[in-house]
Amino acid sequence: MSETAYGWWLPMNVATYGGEVDSLINVIHWIMGILFVGWGIFFFYCLIRFRRREGQKAVYQPIHARPAKYVEIGVIIAEAILLLSFSMPVWARFKGEFPAEKDALVVRVVAEQFAWNVHYPGKDGKFGRTAPQFISSSNLLGLDPDDPDGQDDINAVNQLHFPVNKPVIVRLSTKDVIHSFKIPVMRLTQDTIPGTEINIWFEADKTGQFDLACAQLCGLGHYRMRGAVSVDTPEAFAKWMEERQSEVSGTGTEY
Amino acid sequence: MDEQHHEHHHEHHHEPGFWRKYVFSVDHKVIGIQYSLTSLLFLFFGFSLMMMMRWQLAYPGQPLPWIGRLFGEANMPEGVMVPEFYNQLGAMHGTIMVFLGVVPLAVGGFGNYVLPLQIGAPDMAFPRINMASYWFLFVGGVVMLASFFLPGGAAQSGWTSYSPLANIAPVGQTAWLIGMIFLITSSLLGSINFIVTTVQLRVKGLSFFKLPFFVWAQFVTSFLLLLAFPPLEAAGVLQLMDRVAGTSFFLPSGLVVTGQPLEVSGGGNPLLWQHLFWFLAHPEVYVLILPALGIVAEVIANNTRKPLWGYRTMVYSLIFLGFMSFVVWAHHMFMTGMGTAMSTFFQATTMIISVPSVIILTALAISLWGASIRFTVPMHFALAFIPMFAIGGLTGLPLGLTASDLHLHDTYYVIGHFHYVVAPGTIFALFAGIYYWFPKVTGRMMNEKLGKLHFWLSLIFMNGVFMPMLFIGMAGVSRRLYDQTGYAHGAAVQDLTVLGSWSAWLLAVAQIPFIVNFLMSMRKREKVRSDNPWEATTLEWATPTPPPHGNFLTAPQVYRGPYEYSVPGRTADFWPQHLPEEAESPQPRPATT
Amino acid sequence: MRSFLALMALASLLVVGCGGEQTADRPPPAGQQVAPAEGAAPSVRLESGASVAGAVKFEGAPPPRKKLDMNADPVCASKHTQAALSEAVMVNGNGTLKYVFVYVKKGLEGKKFPAPATPVVLDQNGCMYSPHVMGAQVGQALKILNSDGTLHNIHPKPKVNQEKNWAMPKFMKEKVTTEITVKPEVMIPVRCDVHPWMQSYIGVVEHPFFAVTGEAGTFELKGLPAGKYTVEAWHEVCGSQMQEVTVAEGGTASVDFSFKLPN
Repeated sequence: MSETAYGWWLPMNVATYGGEVDSLINVIHWIMGILFVGWGIFFFYCLIRFRRREGQKAVYQPIHARPAKYVEIGVIIAEAILLLSFSMPVWARFKGEFPAEKDALVVRVVAEQFAWNVHYPGKDGKFGRTAPQFISSSNLLGLDPDDPDGQDDINAVNQLHFPVNKPVIVRLSTKDVIHSFKIPVMRLTQDTIPGTEINIWFEADKTGQFDLACAQLCGLGHYRMRGAVSVDTPEAFAKWMEERQSEVSGTGTEY
Repeated sequence: MDEQHHEHHHEHHHEPGFWRKYVFSVDHKVIGIQYSLTSLLFLFFGFSLMMMMRWQLAYPGQPLPWIGRLFGEANMPEGVMVPEFYNQLGAMHGTIMVFLGVVPLAVGGFGNYVLPLQIGAPDMAFPRINMASYWFLFVGGVVMLASFFLPGGAAQSGWTSYSPLANIAPVGQTAWLIGMIFLITSSLLGSINFIVTTVQLRVKGLSFFKLPFFVWAQFVTSFLLLLAFPPLEAAGVLQLMDRVAGTSFFLPSGLVVTGQPLEVSGGGNPLLWQHLFWFLAHPEVYVLILPALGIVAEVIANNTRKPLWGYRTMVYSLIFLGFMSFVVWAHHMFMTGMGTAMSTFFQATTMIISVPSVIILTALAISLWGASIRFTVPMHFALAFIPMFAIGGLTGLPLGLTASDLHLHDTYYVIGHFHYVVAPGTIFALFAGIYYWFPKVTGRMMNEKLGKLHFWLSLIFMNGVFMPMLFIGMAGVSRRLYDQTGYAHGAAVQDLTVLGSWSAWLLAVAQIPFIVNFLMSMRKREKVRSDNPWEATTLEWATPTPPPHGNFLTAPQVYRGPYEYSVPGRTADFWPQHLPEEAESPQPRPATT
Repeated sequence: MRSFLALMALASLLVVGCGGEQTADRPPPAGQQVAPAEGAAPSVRLESGASVAGAVKFEGAPPPRKKLDMNADPVCASKHTQAALSEAVMVNGNGTLKYVFVYVKKGLEGKKFPAPATPVVLDQNGCMYSPHVMGAQVGQALKILNSDGTLHNIHPKPKVNQEKNWAMPKFMKEKVTTEITVKPEVMIPVRCDVHPWMQSYIGVVEHPFFAVTGEAGTFELKGLPAGKYTVEAWHEVCGSQMQEVTVAEGGTASVDFSFKLPN
C-alpha cells in the first residue's frame, strides 16, 4: 500500500476528474468556513455586547431586515454557483461521457458477500456468459462452461489491476445484496444494486497500490470487503495478465 | 368547546384511582411525562449501545473490560464483540435514538405537555387517542428491546434496513418491522391529535400569527409525520411479507446468496424500498429538528427579553421547509445509479431547502442583537444550539451536491453531519426544554451549577466525538465498519477514532450531573415562589404549578403576540399574552402546590 | 382499553416466543450406552454387530483440479507455497473416490441412538475446511476451529435445519454448537462468506452408521444389528447412489459403488 496516500483529510488523488471533485470540496469548505466564522463573530459579539447588566435594557425592535437579506441572497447565489458551475458538470461527465469501449479496458466487477469478483474478458476480449445456475465455489462468476467466449476469462478475486493513463469501464453488479464500490483515491463511489448492471468509468494518472472498499452495509463481513487496486504501468499490467491467463487452463473440465 | 366543558365538569365529580390517574391517564400532561420518561430511558439505552460500539472501533478485537462477558457467547465470546453483534448495536442505536428517543421526547413529550398549555386548551382534542399513541410506542419499544434476545439477535441491517440484506437477515429483522409498525402507528395517532388540537382548540384571541413559535414547529412537524409515515408503514408491511409470506416486492430474480440461489419469485426491486424508506426518512429528519427549533425559539425569546426577530419570516420559512422536505429524499440515493436528470432535480431541491433553514437560524442569531441576555442554564443550551446546528447544516452542503458526494457518500462525513444536527443540535435543545419547563412540571428549579457543568462538559465532548468524524469521512472511511484498520485509509485515521471513543465515554460521564440534578430536583423541598419563574409571556406560565387537570382555572383570552418583552412604556420587561390591556404587569403569584 | 392492552401484550409475547430455539448451546447428551427405559425402543449395543464395508470407485480419467486463487486474502495466500486445489473431485491413486459420504438410509427405523458426547471437529486451516466432507449425529456437537488468525465466517445453508451465519473473527479460535445438528439432513453445505472458494459438507444422520471415504476410497459401517438396509453414497459432484444390503448377526456384507462425472 502506498504509505503516503492517506492522511487526515482528502487522500491522494489519482483520478483524472478527481481534481474537479476536490475543487468542489475545497470551495464548499471555504464557503462553509466563511459563513461559519462570519456568523460566529456576530454571535459572540452579541453575547458579549448584549449580555444583561445593570441599567441595560433590551430594545423592542432593534434592527431592520437589510443585512440579513443580503446574507441570504449571497448564500443562494453561492449555492447556485456551486451547483451549476461545479457539481453538475462533473456529474454529467462522470455519468454521461463514457470513453469509447475500444479505447478502454472493460472489466466486470461482481460483488458478493464478502468479496469482489473482478472479471476480465481474457485474450479474446469477450466476456463469457454468466448465469446464476453455474455459480459454485470454484466458479464464483458462474461462467457457462459451454460458452467458448468464457474459456479464457479471468476472475481475480479482490484484485483490480489496470494500467495507468488508460480509461477503464467497469460494469458493476452484485450476486446477493447491495454493496458499494468505493475507491477513495479515485473519488469514486457506486452502489451495486441487485438485478442491475451499472456502468462507471475512470482513468488513473498515477501508479500505486490503493484500497477498494465496500461502502454499503452488506452483512457481517462488510468491514472485510477489501479489494486491492493496483494501478500498473502498461508493462506490469501486461505481465500480470499473462500470469493470470496461464493459471486459467480453460479446458472447462476442471473441478 | 362544549365537549371540553362537559369533560372538565364531569371529572370534578369523581377522583380517578391510581391506575387511571398515573398510568392509563388521558390527561395530556401525564401522557407527556410518560413519553418523556420513556424516551429519556431509551436515549440513555441507545447511547449505551453506541458506547459499546466505540470500544470495538477504538480497540478492535480487544475484550471489553469487566462487562464484556455479560453479553453471552453468541455476542461477545470472551468479551470480544463479533461483527454480527456490532451490526446489531449499530442498527438498533439508530432505530432507538430516532424512533424511541428523540422524536417521542421532542414531539410526544414536549409537544404533548406544552402545546395545549400554550394554546390555552384544557387538553388535547382526542385524549383517548393520545393515550393510545403512548401505549403503541410502549409496545413498539418492548418489541424492539425483546428482539435482542431472538435467535440471531436484533435487526442488523442498519436503521435503513435496505433490501435485500434485510430480507435475508435473521428473525430480529421481522421483530424490527413489527416494532416499527407499532411506532409508526403511534406517531400517526399523535400527529392527527396535534393538528386538530392546534386548529380547533386555540383560545379566543389566539390567531395563528400570535402562536408561540414552538406551537408552529409542532404543528408543521405533525403534518410531516402524518403525510410521510404511511409510505414507510406500507413498505414495512411489504418487507415483512417478503420475509414471511414469500413475496418479492424488493427482490429481483437470480440472486445467489452464499453460493445457493435464493428461492424467491423475483421481479422486485431493491430501489423501491429505498424510495419508500427515504420518502419518510427525509421528512423524519426535519421531524427531529423542527421541535428543537421551536424550543430554542422559546428559550431565546425569553432570555433575550425581546421579541424574536423576524417571527413572521420564521413561520413562513418553517412552512416552506416542511413542504420542501418532501421533495429532497433521493439525495440519499445519489449513488444508486441515478442519472443526470433525477440528480439535478434533487440537488436543486436540496440546495433550495437550505434557504429556509438558514433564514430560521439567522433570525435566531439576529434575535440576540439589542437584547438583554440572561445566561440561564436553558439559555446556555439554546445558544450553543445555534453554532452546532450551523455546523450540521453546513456540512450537508457537500453531501447534497453529487460531485462531492461521489467521495463522501456513506462515509463518516455523513455520520458527523447528521449527528451535529441531532446531538449538539436537537438534544441540546431538548436539554434546554427540560431545564426550562422543569419548574412548571414539578414546581422546582433545577440546580444551576450542576446545569452549567452538564452544559460545558457536554459541549466539549460532543464536539470531541463528532468533529473528528468529518475528517475520518473526508479520508474516505466508510460507515458501519466493525473494524476500519484493515484498510490503509482507515488505519491512517485510527487515532481520530480513538479520540472519538474517549470523547463518547466522557460524554456519558458528563450526563451524570444532569441525571443527579433531574432526580434530586424533582423531590427537593425548595419550591419556586412563582408560577412564572422565568417571567415569560406565553400561556403555559399562566397556569397553577403544576397545572391541574383541565389546566386553566378559567379559560384565558389572548390579547397580543407571544413575545411581548421590553415593550416601550411598560414598567415590567414582559407582558404576558393573556393579560388584558388595562391590567398592570403581573406580580409574582405564589405556587399552589 | 384493558382487553386491548392485554391483546397487545400477548401479541408481543408471541412475537418473542416464536423466535425458535435458544441461542445458548445445549450440552450434548452424555453417554453412548444407556439402559433402555421400560417400554422404550431398544438401544443398540455397538461393540458387537454386523458391518457393511466397501469401496467407491471412480470411472474414467480423473479430471484436473481447479486452482483456488487465494490472492483475494493475503493472509490465506501466505499459507500456501503452491496454489491450493479444489477438493470437489478427488480421485485417489488407486482409482477410488475420496470424500464420498456413505450412510445407512433405511432399515434403522424405530431404533434410537444417543448422540456421542465428543464433538465432531471442523477446522479452518490455510483457508480451507478440513475435512471437506464429514458426518455427525443428530444432537452431536460441532466444534469449529479457526486456525488461521483471520476472519472466517461459518455459513451453513441447510434446507431442513435452520440456516446459521456466524462470524469467527481472528481472535476466536474455537466455537462449539449444536444448532445445525438438530434434524437429520444429507447434506448441509457450508460456505465461508469471506473466502468464497471455501466449501465443505456435513451430513447429519440419526445414527452412528456413516463414514467418509478417505485416501483408500473405502468405508466401513460397524456395529449394525442384523437386518436389511439401504445404503446411500453421496458425492457433491457425481450425485448419489443407493444399494440394498442384508447382513447377518455379526457378519460382514460388501457394497461397492462406482461414480462418474455427470455429463
